Amino acid sequence: MSIKKIVLAATLASIAAGSAWSQTTLRIFTGGQQRPDVMRKIADEYEKRTPGVKIAVEVGGATSDAQQQYLNTVLTSKDSALDVVLIDVIRPAQWAAAGWAEPLDAYLGADRQKVLSQYMKAYVDANVINGKVISLPYFADAQFLYYRKDLLEKYKRPVPKTWDDVMETAQIIMQGEKNQNLRGFETAGAPIEGTVCTYLVPLWGEGSDITKNGKLNLDTPEARAPFQLMGRLKQSGVLSPNVGEIVTDRIRVNMQAGNLIFAQTWGYVWNRSQNDADSQVKGKIGVAVLPSSKTGKGATCIGGWQLAVSAFSKNKAEAAKFVRYLSSPEVSKMQAIAASHLPVFPSVYKDKDVIAANPWFEFAGPIVETAKARPVTPRYQEVSDAIRSNMNAYLSGTKTTDVALADIKKRLSPVFNK
Amino acid sequence: MKPSKDLSERALGWLLLSPVALLLAIVVIYPVGQLIYSSFFTIRLTEPWLGTPFVGLENYLKAWEDERFWGALMNTLLFIVVTVPGSLAVGLGLAMLANMPFKRKWPVRLALLLPWALPLVFAGLIFRWFFDNKLGFFNDILVRIGIEPQPWLTDPVLAKIAICFTIIWKSSSFMALVLLAGLQAIPKSLYEAAEVDGASKWLQFKEITIPMLMPAIFVALIFRTITAIQTFDIPYAMTGGGPGEATETLAMYIHKTTLDFLDFGYGSALAAIMFIVSIIATSGYLKYTQRSAGRD
Repeated sequence: MSIKKIVLAATLASIAAGSAWSQTTLRIFTGGQQRPDVMRKIADEYEKRTPGVKIAVEVGGATSDAQQQYLNTVLTSKDSALDVVLIDVIRPAQWAAAGWAEPLDAYLGADRQKVLSQYMKAYVDANVINGKVISLPYFADAQFLYYRKDLLEKYKRPVPKTWDDVMETAQIIMQGEKNQNLRGFETAGAPIEGTVCTYLVPLWGEGSDITKNGKLNLDTPEARAPFQLMGRLKQSGVLSPNVGEIVTDRIRVNMQAGNLIFAQTWGYVWNRSQNDADSQVKGKIGVAVLPSSKTGKGATCIGGWQLAVSAFSKNKAEAAKFVRYLSSPEVSKMQAIAASHLPVFPSVYKDKDVIAANPWFEFAGPIVETAKARPVTPRYQEVSDAIRSNMNAYLSGTKTTDVALADIKKRLSPVFNK
Repeated sequence: MKPSKDLSERALGWLLLSPVALLLAIVVIYPVGQLIYSSFFTIRLTEPWLGTPFVGLENYLKAWEDERFWGALMNTLLFIVVTVPGSLAVGLGLAMLANMPFKRKWPVRLALLLPWALPLVFAGLIFRWFFDNKLGFFNDILVRIGIEPQPWLTDPVLAKIAICFTIIWKSSSFMALVLLAGLQAIPKSLYEAAEVDGASKWLQFKEITIPMLMPAIFVALIFRTITAIQTFDIPYAMTGGGPGEATETLAMYIHKTTLDFLDFGYGSALAAIMFIVSIIATSGYLKYTQRSAGRD
């Protein structure tokens, strides 16, 4: 080895060492409801394994809407402050259109197919827009039918399969219990994102959908069914008269206080209702697939959170590596145990440790796999607004089925029928 | 002595004003100009492939035909018409109360200041709970006196009443502060002279207090009207615009169009319309202040 070579090797080594010393700080944005504490633990683990990379966790608004409003201002000004952003499952199409997400195809390289094939299909569909990988899933979610196991047993009623069963069982139990605070069923009704699912789940349960071959499909009798169903539930007293002010977390609070027999809500409620100190229903809750009409098959709204690399990040390569770590079966398992976050990998549902921590994951897995996506369009926010505000008006009794449906159609036709 | 008006003095005046003028140009004139400029374009971030073509008055025509815009405008006008006089009346009452000769003045002043110091959105959230159908304070009172609990925030009429009530509660203290300052500037001797002449309390209020308070009332009204046009936080926190869009204000619709729908062209046109509404609504007051300035 000549002196020259040794000098060269030493120089290269010192450059390598130097680059290891130079710090890259990645800033990841997450919502307050997506367990930033668990994200911090995962980030600590990543920092240990990846010298030279520090992770800063920025925590934003409590609701998906509030987070996106903040992100809209950051991203329209092309701010490079955020490297990785946790986004709601309804957003990748909008992010792709606006050019806010760095497509991850190049960073996945030859692994692309292999990586995508590990996920549940619904999540591949949600994150791949026009053939490009816009984001990778972090954790899954879906709406379930929560029910009071103890009350169903007491009145010898089976877990309801149809909406008629829900109504009948709820009425029997409400009459029997004579508890003024006990309501039969609750779902989101305030003008918020969750209320979109209040409309879509019964619509899907009828075997129909908002669009058919990309065109608006609301001139069907099925499109009226969700209104009629909610109207019947409200009239019979099963649904609370104040459903128009019910937001997502209020359902959990009411369920946990023992004031509900059935509820249509998201996965996080199970963990809270079993672990919170003030829960009145520990060990008394069951979770099942949401009911359908007499003819249809039960359907549910897909939820969950995705990881996108900001198109304005200055550390895209490092950010993409971090995203791949966060979207791995290993991290999925950590989240499942620490936060009851539903995995996006079918394999993790079968993990012994995961099932030990969340016995209900065994049957939650198949439900998540059949979950349907809300309409995929860059103008989703307008779609959501049309449905939620008309559903809210109907539930509050200010619009009839005809008026609410006509107003939805009027607002959605410029989005879909162009 | 007449103030001298030679050219150099005038130039100095301009020179001294120029930093402020520049600052105003940057923070007021430029954004307003940019807003009006972008209202003539299609700027939809959700559909960047449309480009940003010049569309002339299309955004304004769209507003003309947009029922939701008219609904939001009407709600905003309703909130102005109800809450501006409402908070003036309540504020005047509070100011008169606070102007009474209390031994300790600070607890009264503090009580006056508190609602004003509270952020708007907090007031909205607090009253959302007060008006809550099941857990609310107001329904608790109704039930205690044997009346059915009311769906305060999910009935279009009741929701408007609840929001007006909250806005008046929140904004009266600001009115009261301005009016209190005005009240204290009225010389006691006027009332003493009126007493001597045998004028009743009501006559004193009508003939001394109100006319002497007029400048303060107008200042308070201008500020209150401008904030009423921009009503956003309280309905946003209390109803989110619901039921349906029954309590959506113009500011909320602009926020929704730009920050949720990412339609900056149309949002700019709506904001420009709100700017025009503000100018119309406040021009009456401005005329008055000019007239009174001319009288001096």
